[in-house]
Amino acid sequence: MLPTERLDFSAIAHRPKLALPDGARLAVWVIVNVEEWDPAQPMPRTVLTPPAGGAPMPDIPNWAWHEYGNRVGFWRMLEAIDEHRIRAVLAVNGSAIGRYEPIARAALERGWEFIGHGFTQKSMQKVADERDDIRKTAAAIREFTGKNPRGWLGPGLTETWETPDLLVEEGYEYVCDWVLDDEPVLLGTRTKPIVGVPYTQECNDVAMMLIQHHKAEEYYDRAVDQFEQLYRDAAPRAAGPGGPSRGSARIMALVVHPYIMGAPHRLKYFRAALAHIRAYHDVLFWTGEQILDWYRAQRT
Amino acid sequence: MPNRARLVVWTIVNLEFWDIARPMARQVLPAPTGQVLLPDVPNWAWHEYGMRVGVWRFFELFARLAIRPTLSINARVCEEYERVARAARDAGWEFMGHAWEQMPIHNVEDQFAMINQSLGMLERFTGTRPVGWLGPGLTQTEDTPDLLAAAGVRYIGDWVYDDEPTEIRTAHGPLVTLPYSVELNDIPMMLVQHHESAYFTQRCIDTFERLYREGAERAKIMAIAIHPYISGQPHRMKYLETVYDHVNRYAGVLHWNGAEILDWYMAARGNR
Repeated sequence: MLPTERLDFSAIAHRPKLALPDGARLAVWVIVNVEEWDPAQPMPRTVLTPPAGGAPMPDIPNWAWHEYGNRVGFWRMLEAIDEHRIRAVLAVNGSAIGRYEPIARAALERGWEFIGHGFTQKSMQKVADERDDIRKTAAAIREFTGKNPRGWLGPGLTETWETPDLLVEEGYEYVCDWVLDDEPVLLGTRTKPIVGVPYTQECNDVAMMLIQHHKAEEYYDRAVDQFEQLYRDAAPRAAGPGGPSRGSARIMALVVHPYIMGAPHRLKYFRAALAHIRAYHDVLFWTGEQILDWYRAQRT
Repeated sequence: MPNRARLVVWTIVNLEFWDIARPMARQVLPAPTGQVLLPDVPNWAWHEYGMRVGVWRFFELFARLAIRPTLSINARVCEEYERVARAARDAGWEFMGHAWEQMPIHNVEDQFAMINQSLGMLERFTGTRPVGWLGPGLTQTEDTPDLLAAAGVRYIGDWVYDDEPTEIRTAHGPLVTLPYSVELNDIPMMLVQHHESAYFTQRCIDTFERLYREGAERAKIMAIAIHPYISGQPHRMKYLETVYDHVNRYAGVLHWNGAEILDWYMAARGNR
């Protein structure tokens, strides 16, 4: 199905307002992506290219660079998230739950939400049997947490034409691949609709550090700039005729990967971004499923 | 750690041989219209500057600081740039195996022979057989660790997956991994990510401050990997110097080479 068949165009200025509890302006959700990179496959991302180019296999240096995140970086990140009393969302490859069990256990003990992130870190367009991959991921999460995952993020946000249909059929209730709004949206599927919860490519360490090659500090600067604008967008005020809709609640996502923001030189900028936002009393830190349940209640 | 040190700074200087008859390992300037040049004189010369000029800035800096870094050296450099290798040897730097010349190890026909040829050359040149190894561009095949252990290598730098030494299994007994770096490394930072020169100082200090804090509980290793054709440039040198000025203001900071870290780790393991 084409994206434009799944949802109609909608201008944020012309929509019924959404309201968060207790007059909060914004719900922020923090997504920690934990992946398993198969050393027998080409690496999903690289920090170092081989001398004179090419892509020789195996690629041990880049495998090790990612592995650092799960051995060391995640545990630094956890400290910062605990310090700010945040229940984060673990977007996890199904295979990573067994391979990195201590990470899954730390997330479970803290009541983080687990969402599916592919069974392995491989484009959904390259997976042999997409339904099976989605199902296996749900099973791996269910076996470990005792609960079906309600949310899904494609590896690298990848989808096929069919992904939202399959997700609904396999019991998922929301998807994060559609970064097209600051509020949740409803996406039609061949059965019942699925909710799109605003994820981000902007406040996302993969895009910022590995593709755009920004300094670590830009993570903090951009998170604060993003936050201040959304906070202003959501400020209560009378909407003029045809003017921008103000006062409707917004969602802000912050995305991190242990092998990127968990590096010793980057962690403090993530921590400082959390501290900045945490200082506001009318901002909530929610999980994806809290956003989902709230949105559904608002829309009925 | 001795004297309750919290952090070891491990400086690695990389010296390479770039064969003018082959495509260059890295490029600062792609040819107009992106064509592959052969010979690639501008990029060969850019690297050559490091040997002619840049590395001598390193020798001066580390002599002034009384630091004896680890030299990660393509063995062929001992013949082709004998004066550079001699200066490092005479300054007491540790020689670490870094292949015969700079190409992915996957393309080497007889890896075991190349490893032995390289270690043999360094042994003849310095009088000591190296205990450490770093693959060219950190490249390895699946059996590289087995071959290295068979050749007598005791530590490698290719596994950048921790802040502390670890041990991996090989067909010829355990091999220690030392935490080399692709973060504090001028190739990813300057040639891949294209950061400004000054950012080298910032990233090193940010890393240092974090690891120094964590080192209060368990000692940490912080590697700094530099290349004379990159960090030895006049506009980058001062940002490297500033890193050492900063870390040397702290108590409990040691400057060790790879062999010294290995000795400490083996002794610390034995004591557990």
